[in-house]
Amino acid sequence: MAVGAGILAGQAARRWLDVVEVRGRSMAPALLPGDRLLVECRTYARRQPRPGEVVLAADPRAADRELIKRVASVDEAAQTALLLGDAPAESTDSLVFGPVPLASIRWRAAFRYWPPERAGRL
Amino acid sequence: MLSLRSILRPTRHVHAHCDIPCGVYDPEQARIEAESCYRIIEKYHASDDEVFRQRCVAVKEARAEETKHHIDVLWHDYFKPEHLEKYPDLHDVCWKASKAASKVKQGTDLEAARDLLALIDQIDGMWKGTGGLEKTRLNGRPS
Repeated sequence: MAVGAGILAGQAARRWLDVVEVRGRSMAPALLPGDRLLVECRTYARRQPRPGEVVLAADPRAADRELIKRVASVDEAAQTALLLGDAPAESTDSLVFGPVPLASIRWRAAFRYWPPERAGRL
Repeated sequence: MLSLRSILRPTRHVHAHCDIPCGVYDPEQARIEAESCYRIIEKYHASDDEVFRQRCVAVKEARAEETKHHIDVLWHDYFKPEHLEKYPDLHDVCWKASKAASKVKQGTDLEAARDLLALIDQIDGMWKGTGGLEKTRLNGRPS
C-alpha cells in the first residue's frame, strides 16, 4: 500500500522531476556516458539559468534531440545563453550553433543517482 | 504495475555528443594505434634499459587508449541497426575489441596485442561489408 502510494506520488512528481541518461562524452569528466541524472523543471520556472549550471536544451539543429551542456554565460538583453560542453574537443555546442534562447532551457540537471559510487549533486 | 526500478530507468536520453558529424570512419585508425602497441611491446621485451622500458609502457598505454577510443567511435557512431542485422555478432566483436585494448593497455603481453589486431581486422571486415570504404572515406583508402 505504502509502496503503491509512493509510486503514485512518483508519477505525479514526474511532471517536474524526471530521470535521464547521458549519451556521449562532451561533458566528461563531470558526466560520463551512461550516467543517470535527476532533472527538474521548477527552478527555471522561477528564475533564469545561471553560469555553471548543467542544463538540458533542445538541439537547435534537431528539435527532437535534447542536449546536455553547461551554461557558460547568459545574455539578459538578448534572452539567450551560451552553452558549452566541458570537453571542448568532443563537444558540439554554442561554439558551433551559437547562443540558444533561454526559453529553450527548461530542465536543470540536479543530481546523479547512477552509478552509485559517483552519486551526488551536480 | 510500475516498480521503483522502472521509475529509475530513464527513457529519456540527453546528448553530450560531438557530432558535427564529419561522417569519416575507418578502422585503420584503430589498427595503426594497435600496431604501435604491438611494436612497442616488442621493443619493451627486447630492451634491458629500464628508463626506455618505462617510456615504452607510458607510450603504449596512451596508444592503447587511443585504440580503444577509435574502436568505440566506430561502434557508437558508424555502425547502425541495419548493420547489426547483417552482422549479429557486431556488438560482441566491438565489445571484445574494446576489452582487448584495455588488456593491452594494462600489460605487456604480445599475444594480447595480437588478439587486439585480429579483432580490429574483424571490425574492418564488417566496416567494408557495410560499405564503409565507399561511404565514409573521400576517395576510398589511399593506396
